[in-house]
Amino acid sequence: MALLAVAPFMAMAATPEALCAACHGPQGNSSNPAVPSLAGQPKQFITTQLVMFREGNRKDPQMSPIAASMTNADINDFGTYFSAQAPKPAAPQVDPGMLAENRRLAEQYNCVQCHGPELKGQQHIPRLAGQQAVYLATQLRGFKAGTRFDMDGNMTSAVQALPEKDIEALAQYLAALQ
Amino acid sequence: MKHFALALAAASISSFAFAQQPAPPGTPPGPLAPPGAQPAPAAPAPSWQQGRSAEHASSPLHPFAPHFTGRPASQLPVDKLKLPPGFQVEVWIDGLPEARSLTLGDNGTVFVGNRNLTDVYAVVDRGGKREVKKILKGMKAPNGVAFSKGTLYVAERGRITRYDGIEGRLDNPPEGKVVIDNLDPTAQPGHFWKFLAMGPDGKLYFNIGAPGNIVMPGYYQASINRVDPATGVMERVAEGVRNSVGFDWHPKTKQLWFTNHGRDWVSDDMPNDTLHRVSAKGMNFGYPFCHQGDFLDPEFGKGRSCKEFDQPTAKLGPHIAPLGMRFYNGTMFPAEYRNNIFIAMHGSWNKTSKIGYNVTRVVLDEKGGVTKMEPFLDGFLTDPKADPPMWGRPVDVLVMRDGSMLVSDDYNGIIYRISYKK
Repeated sequence: MALLAVAPFMAMAATPEALCAACHGPQGNSSNPAVPSLAGQPKQFITTQLVMFREGNRKDPQMSPIAASMTNADINDFGTYFSAQAPKPAAPQVDPGMLAENRRLAEQYNCVQCHGPELKGQQHIPRLAGQQAVYLATQLRGFKAGTRFDMDGNMTSAVQALPEKDIEALAQYLAALQ
Repeated sequence: MKHFALALAAASISSFAFAQQPAPPGTPPGPLAPPGAQPAPAAPAPSWQQGRSAEHASSPLHPFAPHFTGRPASQLPVDKLKLPPGFQVEVWIDGLPEARSLTLGDNGTVFVGNRNLTDVYAVVDRGGKREVKKILKGMKAPNGVAFSKGTLYVAERGRITRYDGIEGRLDNPPEGKVVIDNLDPTAQPGHFWKFLAMGPDGKLYFNIGAPGNIVMPGYYQASINRVDPATGVMERVAEGVRNSVGFDWHPKTKQLWFTNHGRDWVSDDMPNDTLHRVSAKGMNFGYPFCHQGDFLDPEFGKGRSCKEFDQPTAKLGPHIAPLGMRFYNGTMFPAEYRNNIFIAMHGSWNKTSKIGYNVTRVVLDEKGGVTKMEPFLDGFLTDPKADPPMWGRPVDVLVMRDGSMLVSDDYNGIIYRISYKK
């Protein structure tokens, strides 16, 4: 991690695998619960977040220096690349009963309206299906506290309604989706 | 440095802001709740769903976001753009991510603002070859740009700053001097971006939008205001305006005309976005109680009458999202276009069959009534039922000294130029 932060990003040299796999996993399938998978994310979601890291709207100690020297061309290329990778779900197979029961959370809290009926995302809205549960829960708590970057205020408002006890269940449900 | 008087009132306003968190449908607002107010609210909805009624719960409608890295014009169906006979459109420049509001410098420099992104650009036209400079960086929603007498003014979410002598210092812009500050004391979650224009009275006009879809605004919100750049003193121009992101002055009457976005999540067709004319001091156009001059809000309008409020001049279409507008005062277009209003319609999201995504021409009679309203630049909308339905979204229009018209498109980061030849 320290190595990556120190090494300057050479725009022409670093491919998505070379720059990102150490944290985000091969082909963007993360095995680190705290780090999100990028595989199969909508291209416009990836490009939006990289721009927001670069412009300082969204801040993260690892991502901010990496994004700082990315050009728009790099960002587009990385978005194209990861959106084309096949996502491997983060969580092992779970009890179908749990899936059915917690589906209602995704409907009750309006997730499916933007993130899609199968939570696979679209346009600038991320895929949640198969994402790392710990990462998801961290984002949800950040939105609820108003500390997580939010482009237009929608996620912050959406999560105000979500009680802490449902955050874990929702994150586990999303992680278990294919 | 003058500070907006709210600095002292910030404490009381922040508690008011909590009352402005998305209110669930059916729950009336704060202290003036009518009799029979419902008890404890259910889960509040996301800010853009706030005010949504039960039958909308399974709606897949959602706002769109621009392509923040921009999209090259060469990849887009620009040839699908349509205009009336005699008019042509070309790509004036691309590669300006999230190009938003436009203003023109004395030397022909075009300044361009951002909303979600953080930059202000200057485009210098050297005899057909255009050069882009990023003159300001790291700003907070610098959507308002206005040039007057050598100075560029920029309205961010919380303040207006000035850059004197900017055209001679594009490569080394001066530090901004603050004209007015503390315009966003509560870091309001919605409608925090501003349109900025210099009025014929030498004052800078700007909006402060309502903090959410349908909420009781703070006393300084849902308004159009002006500030004297010499003194930093601010005045209210109009209130009851949910969010105006475009205004201009009639070339003859010098009256202020503005566009306004109506609320979402009532229905596909109600209420309309609207066009307004300010003809007196102290006008109140109805938000949150009355929309489009004749439609009482299902929650806030209980026990009120729309007759209490001022009327819009025209209804522009539901959810069509009118943004920048200008009166045409050039000589390139035929005479019948003189003093027409051109409005950039960003286009709808809160509607099953999408509308807008064009530049609309509005023709007025001598009394200021609308006699004709028709699309002028069209062709960004590809399929009204698709998601997304469009390939581009107009944001602002600018009349150039040669009488041509620039149109910005934040979805792609492109500025188009419309010209006329007999």
